[in-house]
Amino acid sequence: MGAIIVSGLVSGALYALVAAGLSLIWGSLGVFNFAHGVLLMTGAYAAWWISSPDGLGLGLGIGIVGALAFMVVLGLVVYLLLVRPWIGKANAELAVIMTTIAGSIFLQNLILEIFGGRYKTIDQVVTGTVAIGGTTIQAQNLLVIILAPVLLIAMWLFLTRNRTGLAIRAVAQNQDAAQLFGIGVERIYIATFSVSAVLAGVAGILLGGLFNISPDMGTDPLLRAFVVVVFGGLGSLPGTILGAYAIGMIEAFSSYYIGIYWTPVVLFVVLIGVLVVRPTGLMGRPT
Amino acid sequence: MKKDWTRIGRIASIVVVLAVAAVAPLVLTGGVAQNLAVLSILYAVVASNWDLTLGYAGIFNFAHVAFFGIGSYVAAIATLQFGVPVWLDLILAVVVVVAVGGLVSALALRLRGIYVALVTFALTQLCVALINSAKDITGGPVGLIGVPDLEIRGFELGSEPHAYFYAAEVLLILSTIAMRWLATSHFGLSLVALRDYEAYAVARGIPARRQRVLAIMASSIPTSLAGCLYAHYLIVASPDVFSFSLTTLLLSMVLVGGAGTIYGPIVAAIVLTVGTEGLHQLGNIRYMIVAVLIVLTLRFLPGGLWSLWTLVPAIRRRRATRVPSPLAEEASS
Repeated sequence: MGAIIVSGLVSGALYALVAAGLSLIWGSLGVFNFAHGVLLMTGAYAAWWISSPDGLGLGLGIGIVGALAFMVVLGLVVYLLLVRPWIGKANAELAVIMTTIAGSIFLQNLILEIFGGRYKTIDQVVTGTVAIGGTTIQAQNLLVIILAPVLLIAMWLFLTRNRTGLAIRAVAQNQDAAQLFGIGVERIYIATFSVSAVLAGVAGILLGGLFNISPDMGTDPLLRAFVVVVFGGLGSLPGTILGAYAIGMIEAFSSYYIGIYWTPVVLFVVLIGVLVVRPTGLMGRPT
Repeated sequence: MKKDWTRIGRIASIVVVLAVAAVAPLVLTGGVAQNLAVLSILYAVVASNWDLTLGYAGIFNFAHVAFFGIGSYVAAIATLQFGVPVWLDLILAVVVVVAVGGLVSALALRLRGIYVALVTFALTQLCVALINSAKDITGGPVGLIGVPDLEIRGFELGSEPHAYFYAAEVLLILSTIAMRWLATSHFGLSLVALRDYEAYAVARGIPARRQRVLAIMASSIPTSLAGCLYAHYLIVASPDVFSFSLTTLLLSMVLVGGAGTIYGPIVAAIVLTVGTEGLHQLGNIRYMIVAVLIVLTLRFLPGGLWSLWTLVPAIRRRRATRVPSPLAEEASS
């Protein structure tokens, strides 16, 4: 039982990190970033390449910092090349789905071309196991469980206290009014994309410590994040986070009691159930 | 006078298309070339069908490739596991796919925009999960091997090298006629009206959800048949048909060819299938090239390759009154 809850909390925490980034971009730009999963993967590869002896060999600390700095730049590049030209056009929503899918194909094959398809392992940030209440858990799992809420709270404080964060929310609510108040909308979009990319990078590094790193490691988390944002409601950060933990828990319990192969079926049934009752998700607002 | 020329042009293009269709299987006799041709024709069917719902109706329906996959699996499961006679499995596949398409779209279209895309994406993943979990029937990740040949009165299509080529061509031609007819009918116009100005269209009495569900069901019919043909031709049904990469490939056909044209995706399907195969020695780099192509098309040629055609002044004048492609128009408000 303890092990199931731990596994649910770990997945929930990772999904929350991934889905929060998607939700943030949707909230302020009104577009959906299908390249988010590939950003996660790229973050893991960046950390691996900087830290591993097979790459630069600078150690994990520099690897993480360097990877996150790289994510800021990558977020900017994705925004400038794949999103910005379509913002404000009639079919931005559809066009950006396509361009970000194209971007993810490009990045995924680029990584495959550079590093090959073989699995890589990234060092765990913390090693060993911890015993809590009769269950032993990997220290890295515990780190994920603790770090994700801390990061999400930090993000929430950033969005509600910091000037840039407030500006992000102002732009999300009313772009024209925000512009009249002297907020540089363009700068805010870039900031949003970079924050979202960093969140994806963190998720990638944590995931890379738990499992292997491969060019398609971002696909499953992204698909789960789809379920999460529909379940919780896109654009609502509390809804997204709640949805992420709910999905993580459902997944953990269903894997144990119903079977790992049937879990996606269970998730889909839950999803359809929610949509029939509440088409905008648990806490979403109508578009 | 001008009208005569358009009519002559139209008849001439029909004659050319039919002539190419009749001759191509006799010219492309090599195994590889033929294989490539059959695949690109089947992809052309799927991409041009998808164009009806994505391009004309503007529905973010990402389950279309799943219809193709379900079609191939119904054919394989029916013939291999339940001994359903060949041909009957085609009818069964159409019935199953239309039912699934109708049910899922009726549920998914309670939502709007991006949510539709996410739920239909989830459906495709569900198919893979079901295939993996019901191994006894579906063969699991390996798929089902040994799907029997299609046969007409004892004549097996696989025994004659051109037969599947012609069968695929017939399917493409019939499907294209049906799609163009639907797209230009009152039904098609109502879909475009809903896409461009939903509130007004609904106010004029167009039932939004019903029209869209019907569009998805109609577009799934030739697609499911293409899936059957695919399974019978390749002798296998594999979960790869539900993969993200196939969805992306077909999507790029619709977009690069030109959404909202039906013909564009067909041209793009043939060009991209042959092109990516021709660049085989480049390995993964060819996918990067396709990705760059998608972005460049969306940026600089939102109407797709087919819109190049309309740059010819005479045609542009004639088309001025027609429905523009969904991606081609700028924000007017």
